[in-house]
Amino acid sequence: MNPPNKDISGIPIPRRTFIRRTAALAGATAVMSIAPRRAFAAGTPTVVNSIRSLSNPYHATWNQGGQAFAKSIDADYVTLVTEGDSEKGIADIRAILAKTGGNMVLNVDPNDSPDARPIVEACVKAGAYVTTQWNKPADLHPWDFNPNYVAHIAFDGVTYGEDTGNALIKAIGGSGGIVALGGILSNTPAIERKTGLEKALKANPNVKLLDFQVANWKSTEAFNIVSAWLTRFGDDIKGIWAANDDMAVGTLEALRAEKLAGKVPVTGIDGIKTAIEAVRAGEFAATVSWDPYWQGSMGLSIAYAAKTGKIDPAKEPKEHREFYGTGVLITKENADEFYKTHIESEPKIDFNDYWGRVTGQIRQS
Amino acid sequence: MEPQIGHPSADSGTSQIRSPERRDRNVKRSLGRLKPYAPFFALIALSLVIGTMNPRFFEFNNLIRVANSAAIPLVLALGMTFVIVLGSIDLSVEGVLAIGAVLISLLVRNNGNANDLGWFGVVLAILACGAIGCLNGVIHVGLRIPSFMVTLGMWFIGVGVATLLLGGSTVRVLDKEIRSLALDRPLGLFPIAVWVALGALGITWVIERRTRIGRYIYAIGGGEDLAALSGIPVQRVKIIVFTIAGTLYGLGGLLAAAQLGQGNALIGSGRLFSTVTAVVVGGTALTGGEGGVLNTLVGVMIMAVLGNGMVLLGISPDLQQGVQGILIIVAVALSLDRARLKIVK
Repeated sequence: MNPPNKDISGIPIPRRTFIRRTAALAGATAVMSIAPRRAFAAGTPTVVNSIRSLSNPYHATWNQGGQAFAKSIDADYVTLVTEGDSEKGIADIRAILAKTGGNMVLNVDPNDSPDARPIVEACVKAGAYVTTQWNKPADLHPWDFNPNYVAHIAFDGVTYGEDTGNALIKAIGGSGGIVALGGILSNTPAIERKTGLEKALKANPNVKLLDFQVANWKSTEAFNIVSAWLTRFGDDIKGIWAANDDMAVGTLEALRAEKLAGKVPVTGIDGIKTAIEAVRAGEFAATVSWDPYWQGSMGLSIAYAAKTGKIDPAKEPKEHREFYGTGVLITKENADEFYKTHIESEPKIDFNDYWGRVTGQIRQS
Repeated sequence: MEPQIGHPSADSGTSQIRSPERRDRNVKRSLGRLKPYAPFFALIALSLVIGTMNPRFFEFNNLIRVANSAAIPLVLALGMTFVIVLGSIDLSVEGVLAIGAVLISLLVRNNGNANDLGWFGVVLAILACGAIGCLNGVIHVGLRIPSFMVTLGMWFIGVGVATLLLGGSTVRVLDKEIRSLALDRPLGLFPIAVWVALGALGITWVIERRTRIGRYIYAIGGGEDLAALSGIPVQRVKIIVFTIAGTLYGLGGLLAAAQLGQGNALIGSGRLFSTVTAVVVGGTALTGGEGGVLNTLVGVMIMAVLGNGMVLLGISPDLQQGVQGILIIVAVALSLDRARLKIVK
């Protein structure tokens, strides 16, 4: 056993020493926070991406896009990660706003919808320019915060849920039973993508949805659910639809363990590398790529264009302020080509083509 | 059957003579003796209910699938069991698992680099995971930081290191032998991964029942001060237990990489909660000193049967989480001997 005096935390610090140390620390922090502000304030704005984490391929590619854009304008590049913590996400953005004195452009994928409001308000207050993606409250609009809140970008889950649904139906020859895996029940993309699948099913009455289960976006959970499905439905399962690629990968591996990989077509959404490889190998029928490289670079480029006066947000139509981007449906036909241009080499994006991928204004629901 | 009113048997005769209190006490005593087996009975009952509602549950192929979905959770939960019996907790499961899976994916033949170390790479990766577990133990014991905090930190470090190793991307395992753990079924029976998990069960069972360390773990979990006074090397035992846990998480990482054919930093996500749940549902008390690896086997099987059963019965996804929660509380309520607990925290 450790004798008690080994316990470092137990050593009492004299009160006066404590106060003195605290004061010194506070002083040092103040000096440190003032100094870089001057250094940052002049010249090219800092470009900042705020994303969930660097641990997933999707946001890692997003980050590469941001780096490429920053390099193209020769600016300092900062990546902030929320790690799924809204408080941290907002606090980090406030800190970088203070550090740069507002001379920055921000491209943010808010951790949760409500976070978008304090983030936008902080940017407006500091005079920074911001683009949000995926998550924002329905009543928060860029045109209410001219010119600083430049745009909001999302992708229409309904359209692409329907597209992958149709690709799957085509792959099974237009009739038979399918099963479907959804994401976390309360997530907007999960709901939208499922709605899209239902639309595809409605148009194809010969295809029957045998069961719908939720695997919370995770491959491991998908693996176990698909195994159980094989018991319940056996050969009646002709195809499996998944609301994202990770679950589709878990599905594929569960099929492989039963020697069914490639025999039962699978579809995913998101366009991660493994999924595109699976499409090339004929094991996935389809996936959709959002092109996170585009999201990471163009979100910054649009905000930067507003900051430098190349576009005037107030004069842009609403469909340029809140728009659905373009996803690419990847099937056997275009998978090899897409792999060459987007996976093997860095995608080539014209950073000045601000509205090239607008597919319409976001539905107000 | 003939009604036996006219011929009361000797048995029912004696029970009429017994005083009600005594009978009560007898019932209580026999129930008390059965208590440790409550999770086992719960597992049997659960299987019967599911099997009655969908007979396909008992098909041999489905039993293989249930076993397959239990293999990784079992390996992880075995590591967790000793830690919990000690009265500590280990939150680093997901981090160590991620490091294990990512290291293995990077050391064997893969699509990310030129390595092709095969089983030697696997051994290296699992040893590294054991070392991380050992580090958990050393920091916990040496700096006297609660295991909760040390392992929480190690969880984040683990995921962080795995992220750094791969830069956030995914690397695919191309080594056929590694994949065969999940894909090959010797004699048409269970996949090799299931046999590996059973092997781990056997080894941990021997550690628990046949070695001094095993007995020390229970002594420490039952009362650390007493154990220390009676000369048990508490610190060394704790470090060994955390090392065993880390090694088993590494083994879990191997099986996960084999199952999904890839390694990435998030491969373990969601595993911590299911691991602790399985251990506790099996009847191992979070307070320490009680339970063991066989309890954990039962706990893992309950969770696996439940997951499989809910899909077989077609329970709506909206209800599944709720059903799972209720069953967890019921299982713990049945198995925990609360009468002996002085305080419930």
